Amino acid sequence: MLVWIGGVRPGILAGLLVLAPAILGLFVFLIRTKWSRKGIVTASGWVLTLSALALFGLGAVRREAIPFTPAGPLGLSWDSVILVLDLALMALFGAIGVFLRKPAITALTLLQLGPILWIEFGPLHSAIGGPAMYVDWLTVIMVMIVSVIGSIVAVYGLPYMKEHEKHAGIADSASKRPRFFLTILVFLGAMNGLVLSDSLLWVFFFWEVTTLCSFLLIGHDGTPEAQANAFRALWMNMVGGVCFAAGMLVLAGVVGTVSIQGIVLAETAEPSGAPALLGFGLLCVAGFTKAAQMPFQSWLLGAMVAPTPVSALLHSSTMVKAGVYLVARLAPAFHNTAVSDVIAVAGGFTFASAALLAIGQSNAKRVLAYSTISNLGLIIACAGLNTPLSMAAAVMLIIFHAISKALLFMAAGVIEHGIWSRDIEDMQGLVSRMPLTTFTMVIGILSMLLPPFGVLIAKLAAIEASVRMPATLILLVAGSTLTVVFWTKWTGRLLTADPSVVFPKIEHLHSMYFVPLLLLTAGAVSFSAMVVPLLTELVAPAVAQYYRTVQTDATTIIQFDNVLGVPWALVFGVLTIAALLPLLYFRAPRTRRVGAYLCGEQVDDAPASTFRTAAEAAAPVTVRGHYFERVVGESLHTRWMTSVSLVALALLFGAAFVPR
Amino acid sequence: MSDLALGAIALVAAPLLGGFLIGLDRRLTARLQNRAGPPLLQPFYDVLKLMGKRPMACNAIQGICASLYLATSILGVLMLVLGQDLLVLLFIVALGAVMLILGGFSVKSPYSQLGSQREVLQMLAYEPLLVFMVVATYLNTGSFSASSILALDRPLLLAMPMFLVTQTLVMAIKMHKSPFDVSASHHAHQELVRGVYTEFSGMQLALIELAHFYELVLLLGFVWFLWHTNWVVGAVLALAAYTTTILIDNVTARMTWRWLVTFTWTWGVGLAVANLAAIYLTLRVPR
Repeated sequence: MLVWIGGVRPGILAGLLVLAPAILGLFVFLIRTKWSRKGIVTASGWVLTLSALALFGLGAVRREAIPFTPAGPLGLSWDSVILVLDLALMALFGAIGVFLRKPAITALTLLQLGPILWIEFGPLHSAIGGPAMYVDWLTVIMVMIVSVIGSIVAVYGLPYMKEHEKHAGIADSASKRPRFFLTILVFLGAMNGLVLSDSLLWVFFFWEVTTLCSFLLIGHDGTPEAQANAFRALWMNMVGGVCFAAGMLVLAGVVGTVSIQGIVLAETAEPSGAPALLGFGLLCVAGFTKAAQMPFQSWLLGAMVAPTPVSALLHSSTMVKAGVYLVARLAPAFHNTAVSDVIAVAGGFTFASAALLAIGQSNAKRVLAYSTISNLGLIIACAGLNTPLSMAAAVMLIIFHAISKALLFMAAGVIEHGIWSRDIEDMQGLVSRMPLTTFTMVIGILSMLLPPFGVLIAKLAAIEASVRMPATLILLVAGSTLTVVFWTKWTGRLLTADPSVVFPKIEHLHSMYFVPLLLLTAGAVSFSAMVVPLLTELVAPAVAQYYRTVQTDATTIIQFDNVLGVPWALVFGVLTIAALLPLLYFRAPRTRRVGAYLCGEQVDDAPASTFRTAAEAAAPVTVRGHYFERVVGESLHTRWMTSVSLVALALLFGAAFVPR
Repeated sequence: MSDLALGAIALVAAPLLGGFLIGLDRRLTARLQNRAGPPLLQPFYDVLKLMGKRPMACNAIQGICASLYLATSILGVLMLVLGQDLLVLLFIVALGAVMLILGGFSVKSPYSQLGSQREVLQMLAYEPLLVFMVVATYLNTGSFSASSILALDRPLLLAMPMFLVTQTLVMAIKMHKSPFDVSASHHAHQELVRGVYTEFSGMQLALIELAHFYELVLLLGFVWFLWHTNWVVGAVLALAAYTTTILIDNVTARMTWRWLVTFTWTWGVGLAVANLAAIYLTLRVPR
């Protein structure tokens, strides 16, 4: 088996990972029956998952990075095919701008077109060349996340979109689901293309495809709000696209290549100073837009108008992860520079401030969105800290955040279709009404902030790595504490049990809801339980491999023995036993169920919280969450936070001129 | 001594010490209020009595939360005496604190809900101070493990004096002492309904009280670390910090949550950051 995998041409796997979902997506679009859609989307999921596993096997067998250029179709080179597709994409963006009367979009398209044409047809053409794709462990990890989690979300989308359209009163004949799943599958293919590509020109093409797909998905429902938010996402990401194109042009001019590996190798061996750093700064701003870092956070907040599978995809495995991936991938090239330091502080700032704003939100999806922005800030901060340990933390966060956030959005979606509300206040007592979904949601939340779960362990690594940079350290400590507040408050609402329900009835879930939720819950727990081997066997080698240009001693670069030395299995065991023993001690027949203490004014002995009010009338107890809007409300803070982050962006370019 | 034996001793000795100190606190507090106060061993009698109560609960979540709170407090003490990573220790103890809050939230009671809301804010108030203290320790020892402190040849207090203050503050907040007791008071006689603890009873409350015994030892251990080079000086520092919290408890009244968070994030964090800055400037931390 392994020998066979070792012989597989990487180009074929790249085809399966990038082109197959797009082609299968076309079939979903063209064959409009319920069964074909279900079958093809599920099949695409399997194709993606198995190809990702095969790529993992290929990496394990070959043991070293694999640069390659897939053979082109019909005797053409992929370079020229991608150029044509790129120009077609630009024409499409231009057309959107012209026909929908959005001059800004047209202008941004032209601004992107300039650098691309300059590189392709101008004097910098010699910068193109060499292998266009590159597979190392970081790529493998990203492809696994995109393909596995992306497929799970796509399958979950099948029943979700059906209920979604039913609720909106859309007839099957007018269903927009074929287009929806086409876009989702193209999106997954583009994400795989993005992480597999080494040529910045290719990365740029896939980058813009994800921009287009997210534009289509956010605007899917067609309401005025959805359209407005879709355009906001489009223009902000196109600003990022302009920065990307400009950065690529600068690097092509300064370093003489558009190959990421070539650039990183050249810049670590012999740094070329300010001009190259300007190029990296531009690419990082592009990463910031995609990763919805402040001041670009508003597009991701607006994106939640889209159906929940879209949010689950944008927030977990695709889109925003492209932004942090780009920054992390390039980080070795600007190792030990002021640019890197500014990135660390900017990321830390987004981490803390998004966590602060999340406290004031009662809309579940908005809390999730702020949490995503916050965690991406943490990943960016790790990339900016730019040490082997912080890089390992970044990769761990990318993995664990993808699992937990996909789980959280999918659970939130199931809850939304159970209670038809996104308000956390309406989720009060959900543990008594939808115990199964609540269980997955609570596991998802706890896995975002507490030990022994992976996100927290990565956060510890981030804090330990940030000690060399006090400003980032303070932001990370503040952000971590604020994070606890909003998650705990939300969990409290979910777990406020209904006193009249002693044995909650387990709700019936569609199998395509149940299986994805179960898979991701199991994933969040089991990956956390295996955090030590995951770090030492997969993440550390990945970091050692892509960071080798800075530091060569592969195995010893990640000094994290203290945390890894903790007997995590024992901790898991003790906590599990401690959680299970009370179920035995407080089992039903022995334990008297009582109502809450109400100063002796409780009605009867009934467990329901009802108390005697004026004239002996019975009134039910109402409790609600508190959101501290007057302290942490968005309207109080967004403006100054935007100003601070704009200053950070300006500093990013200023820092390019600071000598190392 | 093997780790196993050390762990076993800590497992038994910590609650004995913690319970005894809380008994002392109750006596001292009573004297300050012109009362005789309960016997010194009253905290132990309380726990035993609570354990003997017939099981009673509002829901199944409470018991799980109380049990996890105790488990994490025990894990915290064990990790401390076995010289484990201090950051991991802090977050494991934070897991317990979150569980206590969730236990309070799980009951549809106006009192415990309010207590839990405020307990979240108490956490917000003390958590950064603890992390900063661990970071300051790291800057002195070069490691995050508790064992590295013992290997140091000079008392930490010389390099981090402000952390004696912040640590006393943390102890006061964590032990629910006035004026920081916004979510509930440490001693039941100080209020009619006990905030976050209101709905815990019988065995659940016994587990929580036990957890407090362990937690107190853990907090005192952190202060003791400031002067580890001499066993007695360390113990005196720890007891001094503890007595200070008791005195402050008796001469102040509860303040609002707004004041609590503002106070800790300005004065507490300010002192911690100032001390950290001094360490960064004098120790030349390698980049």
